[in-house]
Amino acid sequence: MTTTATQPVARAAGPGSAARRRARRGDLLVRYAFIAPAALYMIAFFGYPILKNVVMSFQDYDFATFFNGKAPFVGLANYTATFSDPIFLRALGNTGLFTIGSIIGQFVIGMALALYFRKKFPLSGFLRSLLLLPWLLPMIVSAAVWRWILEQDNGALNRFLEGVGLISDPIPWLVSSSTALVAVIIVNIWLGIPFNVVLLYSGLQSIPDELYEAGQLDGATGWKSFWHITLPMLRPVVSVVLLLGVIYTIKVLDLIIGLTGGGPANATQTLATRSYEMSFIEFDFGQGAALSNILILIALAFSLVYLRANARAAKNG
Amino acid sequence: MSTATTATTGGPIAPAPAPTPRRPRPGRAWIHTVIGIVLVAIMLFPVYWMVNASLAPAGNSLNTQWLPLNPDFSGYSRAIADQGQNLITSLIVAIGACVLSVAIAAPCAYALAQFRIRGTAVLLFVVLISQMIPGIVIANALYTVYTPLGLINSIPGLILADASQGIPFAILIMRAYLETFETSIVEAARVDGCGHVRAFWSIVLPVSKNSLITAGIFSFLFAWSDFLMALTLTTGETIRPVTLGLYTYIGTNDTDWSAVMSTAVLSSLPAVILMIIAQKYVAAGATGGAVK
Amino acid sequence: MAPTPRPSPPESDRSGLPRPTNHRSVSRRALGLGALAVPGLLSLAGCGPDVGNGGPNDIRIVDYYNTPADDVAINGTFSQCAEELGLTFSREKVPGDQLIAKVLQMGSSRTLPDLLMLDNPNVQQVAASGALAPLGQYGITTEGFTDPVADLGMYDGTLYGIAPTVNTIALFYDAAALEEAGVAPPTTWDELHDAAAALTTPTRYGLAFSAIASYEGTWQFLPFMWTNGGDETDLDGDGVIGASRFWSDLVREGLVSRSVVNWGQGDVIDQFKAGNVAMVVNGPWNIAGLEADTPDLDWDVVTIPVPEAGTDPVAPLGGEVWTVPITGDEEKQKKAAALLKAFVAPENQLYMAGERSTIPGDAAAAEQFAGEHPELSTFVDQVSTARSRTAQLGPDWPRTAKAIYTANQRVLVDDTDPAEAFDEAARTVDASRTAS
Repeated sequence: MTTTATQPVARAAGPGSAARRRARRGDLLVRYAFIAPAALYMIAFFGYPILKNVVMSFQDYDFATFFNGKAPFVGLANYTATFSDPIFLRALGNTGLFTIGSIIGQFVIGMALALYFRKKFPLSGFLRSLLLLPWLLPMIVSAAVWRWILEQDNGALNRFLEGVGLISDPIPWLVSSSTALVAVIIVNIWLGIPFNVVLLYSGLQSIPDELYEAGQLDGATGWKSFWHITLPMLRPVVSVVLLLGVIYTIKVLDLIIGLTGGGPANATQTLATRSYEMSFIEFDFGQGAALSNILILIALAFSLVYLRANARAAKNG
Repeated sequence: MSTATTATTGGPIAPAPAPTPRRPRPGRAWIHTVIGIVLVAIMLFPVYWMVNASLAPAGNSLNTQWLPLNPDFSGYSRAIADQGQNLITSLIVAIGACVLSVAIAAPCAYALAQFRIRGTAVLLFVVLISQMIPGIVIANALYTVYTPLGLINSIPGLILADASQGIPFAILIMRAYLETFETSIVEAARVDGCGHVRAFWSIVLPVSKNSLITAGIFSFLFAWSDFLMALTLTTGETIRPVTLGLYTYIGTNDTDWSAVMSTAVLSSLPAVILMIIAQKYVAAGATGGAVK
Repeated sequence: MAPTPRPSPPESDRSGLPRPTNHRSVSRRALGLGALAVPGLLSLAGCGPDVGNGGPNDIRIVDYYNTPADDVAINGTFSQCAEELGLTFSREKVPGDQLIAKVLQMGSSRTLPDLLMLDNPNVQQVAASGALAPLGQYGITTEGFTDPVADLGMYDGTLYGIAPTVNTIALFYDAAALEEAGVAPPTTWDELHDAAAALTTPTRYGLAFSAIASYEGTWQFLPFMWTNGGDETDLDGDGVIGASRFWSDLVREGLVSRSVVNWGQGDVIDQFKAGNVAMVVNGPWNIAGLEADTPDLDWDVVTIPVPEAGTDPVAPLGGEVWTVPITGDEEKQKKAAALLKAFVAPENQLYMAGERSTIPGDAAAAEQFAGEHPELSTFVDQVSTARSRTAQLGPDWPRTAKAIYTANQRVLVDDTDPAEAFDEAARTVDASRTAS
């Protein structure tokens, strides 16, 4: 069954009699009932933590606070301390590079694989399912395996690259300031590809074939059809994939902790790892919260762009 | 590594074959399969390395063999003995979180995408913010709330906590798919006197099966790979997901890597099977009649 | 694994399981799987939480002993002591790197256990927070312990925790490799350097230690720093800088892999087992693993070489300390303390030390132990002169430890001059001290 009509039906807005108003109120209640469970869950599970994190960032919240509950308010002190921290700028820069590098890599490779697996060939579904594997491994395992692969002296990657003659000296993937961030980005791209492939693939699946047929008559094939048919039709999915990609990447913590611990010499320190370090190594939870709030603000900025674009699309749609 | 992948996949995008009967000649199809296998093999090399390490004798995690020629299964026997129960716990929690997430998120996503009611923008905003909160902050807060409620060390407690990643995600994803949903069918049904709930249940859901399953898959994966909630909200050994069970092999100073890797291999098997089944439905695409 | 004896008071059956009802939205087969698991699930839900509602005689214990050797020894000792005292206990084993986070959570929600194990560098901070009961009131003393071992559980002159066994680090070496290279086990820095040079081949490094960006990296640096006259209160002193320079020379000359900046002690011993390195700095806790995994490896241990012949070796004292948190249940705290007192008795120390390859805290027991376990005698000697990390700085130690490993990372990764790196470290520590 396919759908062909593309004209949204205009809503009949009749004159409002009392009965109709009642009906409409009932109708409105039903509509809100659709949202209610999710809204209640969100309030119950996120309201308190969000509030607590914001409040904490204005407090001197340290190790002893957990036992005696004393956390005096210190105004903006945690934020000023954060901004004057010499590592902060580096972590901010690393966060930017890490996020941009990861997103571009994941999205491009993910899109290419999704398009490729859209072809019907034997085993295509099975192979596509296998691509999810990286997500099924516990992070501690992925991090350990990648550490062995990226090991400078005996790691599989360097042995392979030396074997095929691409490099003459082993690359110190995780132990040099200049390559550690690149290595961590590569691993994060690997982790993020399944996410992109699955979402983009199911987006591609819901594009009706008729569009391509019609496009072919107009001479849109290959790149052209991708550009003029696939991408516009995928727009809502692409935008949510990119947005979520940014939000998830910006707060990546356990992968970096597992691979490098933010080292060597802070080369892979991001805002997320720094926030964790501040809280659980320095036990300065106020500053840790301030850092994670800065992270949230950055992600919020992206989200606002997304929401604006959505609102515009809704108006035009 | 990544460049190699792009280089090989750059091609197929270009002159795509005529899409309608996307069935190329058999010979060509097999070439595609071979290329597909190569791509997947590159992607899964680290997974192969994990299997390789799981078959290495204990304490030889840095095995320098490309192939496990002398497989040693002692890691597996330990893993099966220690982690069987945990594996079942993981599966129950992940399936529970997946069902719960989709059940709560689907109506909400539909309402956000199709109803014009006040407050949706606010809710959407909250959903987005919720995705940015560091997990540790949520876990800490839940621990405080769960303790008096007796939800510590309980399957329902873990399911509810793990859904905290799945629900917002599923709302956003399904909403993105439902935005392109054809409203005219629903409108037509409404004119025929069909209520919102009925329209949603018998028209919208069957048609958007594809996005439901995608959201479900990820909700499952989120819950499956959770470590933080499990660590925070369980204390004993009775209820312990396998991600946490792995840690029994990770000492403070020495680690039994072959047992860790064996556990990871074993634990990914049932999950992979579930994924393959679910993906079949995605492959079926947006088919399925819109009118019952 | 020995099952933990658990009291089973009749629990209210809390089986409020959400049964999925919308059969359409998920694959039926998945539901089938779920249904299969439900009977098992019900039995799981039936046994309730073991948090805070054990009976008045059930002692709740939290520690991080996950590996079988540790787990069995600790559990066995507690079982025996509890039985003698008419108590029961339930243990909660937290992953090692998550213990402190968990302790903080428990602290804030008033669910601290009756007995808590802490790694010794953290004791001071927890004690300073007022979360621990002084042990003196329960008749627990450090009689028979050397001062450094007693210091591990002291804060402000009061005893809050006690370590039944301790450990330290020394130099493990591949005896066959040294023999082949015609090198004697090194005792001084020069000998260590020359031995490492003689042992380094294209496929093997001469030496490895952990210089990772965590407390482990600092812990392994301390013997070099202390024997060179360096002190944690004087980070930009010549002693500290000289030790760092010694490390960085070894790395720069290729006798030590640059990868040590990302190796924990476990990684270091794994490299030793794999034959990728001929000498490693490591601890006795890995001896059991060495014997099990690489029975053919002919290894031996010497004390960590010192800068000059004749310098006294000084190593850091490691080990976990047991404490009695203040839970508000005075009666239970007494029982927990009684259990702890029995737990740390010298004969139990001897048993646990033997099972776990660690050293008894009690001086007399340690002497007896050295006689029974010649392979650990090096460590027993080292422990007798070892130093506690927190003795001087107390709760400020962790911050200083972080400054030390950060500086070493800069030296080894970015080739920063040690003098510059440690000058900065000293300033960081001073700044944070004035700030708090």
